[in-house]
Amino acid sequence: MGDLTRLVLKRLGLGLLTLLVVSILIFFAVELLPGDIAEAVLGQSATPETVAEMRRQLGLDQPAVWRYLQWLGGAVQGDFGVSLVSGEPVSEAIGDRFVNTLFLAAYAAVIAVPISIILGVTVALLRNTLFDRVANVLTLTSISSPEFFLGYILILFLAVKTNMFPAIASLSSDMSLSELLNRTFLPALTLVLVVTAHMMRMTRAAIINLLASPYIEMARLKGTPPWKVIVKHALPNAWAPIINVIALNLAYLITGVVLVEVVFVYPGIGQALVDAVAKRDFPIVQACCLIFAATFILLNLAADVGAILTNPRLRHPK
Amino acid sequence: MSVFVIGYYAALIAASCLAAYFNYRRTFMLLFSLTLVSFVLGIIGGTPALRVVTIFAGALALAVGTSYAFKEFLVQIARPNLAKELRTAPLTASFGMFVIFTYAIAGIFAPVIAPHGEAEVIASAFAPPDANMLLGADQLGRDVFSRIIYGARNTVGLALTATILAFLMGALAGLLAAVKGGWFDQIMGRAADVIMSVPSLIFALLMLSIFGTSLVVIVIVVAVIYSPRVFRLTRAVAGNIVVMDYIEAAKLRGEGDWYLIRREILPNSMSPLIAEFGLEFCFVFLLIAGLSFLGLGIQPPTADWGSMVRENATLISFGDITPLIPAAAIALLTVAVNFVVDWMLFRSSGLKEH
Amino acid sequence: MTKKDQELIDRIAEGARKGRISRRDFMYYSTAAGLTATTATGLWTKSAAAAPQRGGTFRWGLHDGNTGDTHDPGTYVTRTMIFLAHTHRSYLTMINGDGSLGPDLADSWEASADASEWTFNLNQNASFHSGRKVTADDVIASLNHHRGDETTSAAKALLTDVVEITKDGDHTVKVKLTGGNADLPWLMTDYHFAICPANDDGTIDWKSGDGSGPYKIDSGEFGVQFSLSRHDGWHGEGAWFDKVDIITLNDPNARQTALVTGDVDSVSLIELKTMALLQRDPNINIFNIPSAGAITLPMLCDTPPFDNVDVRNALKLSMNRDEIIEKIAFGAATKANDFHHSPAQPYWPDDIPQREYDPDQAKSLLKKAGAEGLSVSISTADSVYAGAVDMAVLYAEQAKASGINIDVVREPNDGYYSDVWLKKPWCLVSWGARPTPDVMYTLAYKSDAAWNESRWQNERFNELLLQAKAELDDTLRAEMYREMAMLARDDGGTVIPFFNNFVYAARANVGTPDQLAASWESDGARAASRWWFTS
Repeated sequence: MGDLTRLVLKRLGLGLLTLLVVSILIFFAVELLPGDIAEAVLGQSATPETVAEMRRQLGLDQPAVWRYLQWLGGAVQGDFGVSLVSGEPVSEAIGDRFVNTLFLAAYAAVIAVPISIILGVTVALLRNTLFDRVANVLTLTSISSPEFFLGYILILFLAVKTNMFPAIASLSSDMSLSELLNRTFLPALTLVLVVTAHMMRMTRAAIINLLASPYIEMARLKGTPPWKVIVKHALPNAWAPIINVIALNLAYLITGVVLVEVVFVYPGIGQALVDAVAKRDFPIVQACCLIFAATFILLNLAADVGAILTNPRLRHPK
Repeated sequence: MSVFVIGYYAALIAASCLAAYFNYRRTFMLLFSLTLVSFVLGIIGGTPALRVVTIFAGALALAVGTSYAFKEFLVQIARPNLAKELRTAPLTASFGMFVIFTYAIAGIFAPVIAPHGEAEVIASAFAPPDANMLLGADQLGRDVFSRIIYGARNTVGLALTATILAFLMGALAGLLAAVKGGWFDQIMGRAADVIMSVPSLIFALLMLSIFGTSLVVIVIVVAVIYSPRVFRLTRAVAGNIVVMDYIEAAKLRGEGDWYLIRREILPNSMSPLIAEFGLEFCFVFLLIAGLSFLGLGIQPPTADWGSMVRENATLISFGDITPLIPAAAIALLTVAVNFVVDWMLFRSSGLKEH
Repeated sequence: MTKKDQELIDRIAEGARKGRISRRDFMYYSTAAGLTATTATGLWTKSAAAAPQRGGTFRWGLHDGNTGDTHDPGTYVTRTMIFLAHTHRSYLTMINGDGSLGPDLADSWEASADASEWTFNLNQNASFHSGRKVTADDVIASLNHHRGDETTSAAKALLTDVVEITKDGDHTVKVKLTGGNADLPWLMTDYHFAICPANDDGTIDWKSGDGSGPYKIDSGEFGVQFSLSRHDGWHGEGAWFDKVDIITLNDPNARQTALVTGDVDSVSLIELKTMALLQRDPNINIFNIPSAGAITLPMLCDTPPFDNVDVRNALKLSMNRDEIIEKIAFGAATKANDFHHSPAQPYWPDDIPQREYDPDQAKSLLKKAGAEGLSVSISTADSVYAGAVDMAVLYAEQAKASGINIDVVREPNDGYYSDVWLKKPWCLVSWGARPTPDVMYTLAYKSDAAWNESRWQNERFNELLLQAKAELDDTLRAEMYREMAMLARDDGGTVIPFFNNFVYAARANVGTPDQLAASWESDGARAASRWWFTS
């Protein structure tokens, strides 16, 4: 286990390095964007004088590298600065929204992950039957329509026509958990439909990939029932790619849901990020991107640790 | 009881009897259970429900027939070696190939097939379908059918180029990283982390705002966004293979990295990669559609399916099917590609059952 | 009375309730259907003019809000903030439902003979939500917020000709101008000039969100939602709802479904594409109000080929406005005539011949200019106006008949106004409604205006602009605006296809006045204080 701990620590260190690179990348990408916050805030009404004055007040007349270092100096001490637009501390500006995003992602993941693994194993077991085909066609169709469109269709049938669920997922702090789950069901369902197919197909592919291995052949010849062959023999060796895809999709649930947030008017972090990019509000963009990056790094680390745990051969790289 | 209903049951029962007589047990079971289900359906839904079943069954039969004929056609024209492989293809795979073939024809010969230009305004807004316009007109009075045909060329061309580029970059880097390990692995891994950790829409928004929205930039940006996913998958799959004994053996034999990749690792990691290809291909469609949500997609008036869905998406709330047509075009292609992919996956897994 | 008559009367009554027919038409049709005048009047009162009643929570879905919004009136830019400002803050003056100018915080106002000095008398009852009375100091600080070197206000340009603002007692404010401006009271309705409480040092406290409007903010999150409740000491009339919830709904489908399912009571914008379909829903009333907002296509008059007036006019002639209004605005627009003065503004000249689609004349103009086979690019983005890109594509198709090739370039939504507008030689712009032609022309057509979007220089036009501004005689003024319109139409660098209507909707149980203001969507952004629940 010592190996593993060392690996985790090493990866966490590398993760910090990645965050640093991301922060540099984002800072200069925002710098390179045409226009700046003064022009973005004033919009169509900007005049050269007001733009110059706003830049001066926000300290944008200083060199970019200096501003980045200033920000970095604060960030290492845990101070991510204040929003340039509202003057609010970044943590206050996006804290609640991040919690909302995590909630929605968790909601969708709790439904999607078990379903897709169970479905994936089932279709691998029943491969090339009618069930396999139908499951395939349905999940593929669900991911091949743009997710905002999927959301619209769900709204049409489950909100407008049948009135089973609310069409917009606006939240308030005094909601009970069941009310919350009911309000956010449609966005969660949309996300489930978006991520299930990918995970299910990867599970199926990873299992089928192993079915020709001699040890599976052996198990089969021993007379082990097919479901047992798959669950007991194939699945354990198929975990690495499956965990990988799950990690990817979990990360997507947190970082890639801007369009779903817009469609269901859900106050998550994605909308805040797009708004901040539009306004060139660098501290907010930076904080959101770093949160996303950290999510990614942690999930990836978890996936790699999971892969190593399920394949002991990886523990001793030669 | 209309003639249709009587004919419907008569046909079903006759077909069941025939199947039973010729001892096709599965066909008989299928047909007869359909007959029984139809009784219930007919009582609940009336004639319209039966009509829907007929249309659905007809469409399915047509698809099966087409697939079968297309497979035979391919077997006839292919070289013996290939023909042998093709013979083993399930009907779904040949259906997939048929759809891909149709799309390819539509895309390549778009200007010849499409009755009107993709930007040509020929009717009033949302004109209903007629002999001249098979699917009616869009909001500007352009022929939807022609735009779907042109969309095949633009959307599929763009998505295919971007996906292939992403796979070339991602798979190559992943294989090299798995074989070489060490600092190369680390650097590539970190680079992939950096790109992936920025959400794709935001990444695209930043890059396209900086570099402009020409087609080349879109293809490269999309490829860059998706290559890390391919990289990670390749790296994971190849990582599992690299620790295998036969790789050890090959290394001890003194084989070079390139040989290892080409002859040992790639063939053994093909199937997850192929499965991934089918999915990434449709994700690329969706990303391009999402880009047009932010005003960054393909330049107008070029037709592309993603934008066509988006432009009319709100109509769906009123039960108008206009946005469903391009969405169905995307879905059909995705399903078709993945049918073919499934077959290749099945073949490359070396499973010889069935 | 026959059954048929009864049906007709029911239909008319229904129309009256939904505000689709005027009182005069109502009387005409119902007497024609066999009712006596007295019965008809009674029915009218019952159907349409039902007296407003208090109560309820008005949930109002607005179409444009951003997480980065603030309460700073100098940087108001999204609709959500503008509408919120009209709900929780007050202005000196306001535009009434019938388009006239009415009092808000200012009871009355008068000008000196040359219109260069204005006096505003404040309403003595007006108070902030904190309880403090609104005084001249608050007004002065609020206006000064947009003046001076330190300001970052987007409205700075509107107040450049103000010399000084002084008080005369606690409830009188005097504004001194460099020259005459007969429109100053109109200008005070601009959404930036919201009155906020003054600090002791002459700045304003905008952060707290305190105001003197009909509703006070209880809680809120920018870009998401605001909850407000009635300000009992409000100086105006109305504010029938007990509470108002302002919800940002940026997605058109979200707005539409929220309205259909009853999650909101009114939305500030509906998609024109689905307007006709939405109209079939008996629970929803759609309001289609001609406005002074416009879509403009400014060509930079100092950049070839647009430096040639014949080329400019050929491009104006190559546009089929009827088809564009039909297909892009779905009929919800007023045809424009290449001068930026809408029928919804005062002094509109109604006798100027409409420019029609005429490819042949365009061709001959191009021949004259030596620019046959002209090829130009037009920049546009989806965010400018729903259908902006489509409109450019359609225009490009129409212009082919004149032998002109127009390349449509879709620019990113993000940063459109900083990178494309005023920079690209030809682009597509959307202008909000401005109260008077003077404000509009001064902003975007005056030779030295910062936003002279077509860089059009015309001496006579600029001379007339200054004259008309200080002219207090309406007839003379109207004549000047007519001449300016002709100049802009025949020499200017802006193609104006149409003035867009405001199209918004409310549930059937929301009562509205007969006339809805045309200055913003949702009854001049004042739906919260002017509308009520009928049941």
